[in-house]
Amino acid sequence: MTFKKRYLRITHLLFIVLLLIQLLPDKSTKEVFTGSLIAFAVGVEVLVLAVSSFIKKEEGIKLLVDIAGFIFVLLGVWSLATAKFNILNDLLFPAPGKVVHQFVEDKEQIFINIESSLGTTIKGFLIAVVLAVPLGLFIGWSARIGSAATYITKFFSSIPPRVYIPYGIALLPTFKSVSVFVIFLATFWPVFAGTMSGVLGVDKKIIDSAKVLNVSKPEMLFRVILPASLQQIFLGCNQGLSVSFILLTSAEMIGARDGMGYYVKYYSDFGDYTRTITGLLVIGFVVIAVTFLFNKLQSHLLRWKR
Amino acid sequence: MTTNKIEIKDLTVNYVDNKRSFNALHDVSFGVGRGEFVSVIGASGCGKSTLLSVLEGLYAPAGGSVQIDGKELHGTGSERGVVFQHYSLFPWMTTKKNIEFGIKQTRHGLKRSERAKIADEFLTKVGLADSGSKYPSQLSGGMQQRAAIARALAMDTEILLMDEPFSAIDPKNRVILQELLLSLWEGDGSEERKTVVFVTHDIDEAILLSDKIVVLTAHPGTVNEVVNVPFERPRSRADLVGTEEYGRFRNKLLSLLNTDIAERIGGDEVVL
Repeated sequence: MTFKKRYLRITHLLFIVLLLIQLLPDKSTKEVFTGSLIAFAVGVEVLVLAVSSFIKKEEGIKLLVDIAGFIFVLLGVWSLATAKFNILNDLLFPAPGKVVHQFVEDKEQIFINIESSLGTTIKGFLIAVVLAVPLGLFIGWSARIGSAATYITKFFSSIPPRVYIPYGIALLPTFKSVSVFVIFLATFWPVFAGTMSGVLGVDKKIIDSAKVLNVSKPEMLFRVILPASLQQIFLGCNQGLSVSFILLTSAEMIGARDGMGYYVKYYSDFGDYTRTITGLLVIGFVVIAVTFLFNKLQSHLLRWKR
Repeated sequence: MTTNKIEIKDLTVNYVDNKRSFNALHDVSFGVGRGEFVSVIGASGCGKSTLLSVLEGLYAPAGGSVQIDGKELHGTGSERGVVFQHYSLFPWMTTKKNIEFGIKQTRHGLKRSERAKIADEFLTKVGLADSGSKYPSQLSGGMQQRAAIARALAMDTEILLMDEPFSAIDPKNRVILQELLLSLWEGDGSEERKTVVFVTHDIDEAILLSDKIVVLTAHPGTVNEVVNVPFERPRSRADLVGTEEYGRFRNKLLSLLNTDIAERIGGDEVVL
């Protein structure tokens, strides 16, 4: 890859424009923390330069650089509209530097909340996957009850998991366990349904090929049917995961004492919109990061597909 | 008592399709001797693949019997190795893992490292020494069939069942694969040859490889004739094809293959 392709990108120009914008005088009456914004932008730029100097694939560089470009444009427009020209209500719309500053100030509290939210999600999600996949394999493989189970699953997965929350609160001792319970339900049915439809859809030729090898029953289930259904299983997992985040954050806004949903709700109740926006952005970032890691896992486990 | 490795007697197979039962094979009888290479040929729809799926143990016959070493066949068995036209290999295992998995099913008590060693040995034999870590989707159709053959041979079963293994391969590679199978099966004489039942619709392939050819006719599938192949082993395509005897033998098979069609054209039935 040439030097030009690697380093000469419009994103770097956008970075400089963003810095130049910061030279304009501030119009906002509130403190705008221009220094924090510049530090953040420099951090992103340094990260982009560092990664593009050792990443191998050209598409990888392009993606990263383009995303950074979007961030610079967003920050530029945002600081023009707030700190520099003060067009927007500065109570509802804090300057970008202020959000960065707030994040740094609150980082310990934010990390505790992320940990709590992620812990709850992972617990509910993992329990659901660990139960739903083997159960789906067994039931899907025993064709006699397989099709009946499909209808029953359709019934249960059509109940929006949110409506279990009041019942969960009556049923379970702590708010945490209610969240785990609801995430469990939100993940269990799509994964179970995905596993069963995966099993029912396995190519007969694959099954014949395993049969003539005289594989044992556990081998048939876990070394043949499971990998052959993996793509469908992941479809169910993805569905469960995205619903889990929606559920968790909305549940946290009802009655929790920690978690990112709680953070956002708590500070917006006090009219602290800097922290509200900080919380929103952090939630977005965490969800993207988890989804990214999960997709990496998926493409690793399905690398044999063409 | 029979001396044949596989003895097929009055085999009848019915298929149910749209609630209508039809007769796929009718009173099929022939034997396959120990260490013999037998091809089953016939036009599409003559039931040759059905016959093989009965031998594989995937399909239960309506009547008659199949005996292996004098014992009635029931379901699949680890004395039989199979190569299909497609999907013999599991797409989620590397080529080498596929072979190791096959070995594990038939040769019990081997250590993991011993299985890996055998797998490497057979990958080399079929010319895939460098492709062990590749997934089937990364291999061409011909290479996939090489790997499938390597697995079947590495499993070291007494019987090999091959269901049109080269039908989906381009003509040039098909010839190469036939020669490869021929030389691997004929061996150097130090080991006992495997008993093979090979289904194909390619006459030249059948002549090159087999000791005996079973010609099936369709509707319902019946044995028209069992013909011994009169050519000496070890064979090679170059020595065979083009000779006068080869041409004569090939014509004889062709006319056997076409008898039912000739009868039909002369008769009342409509051929679709």
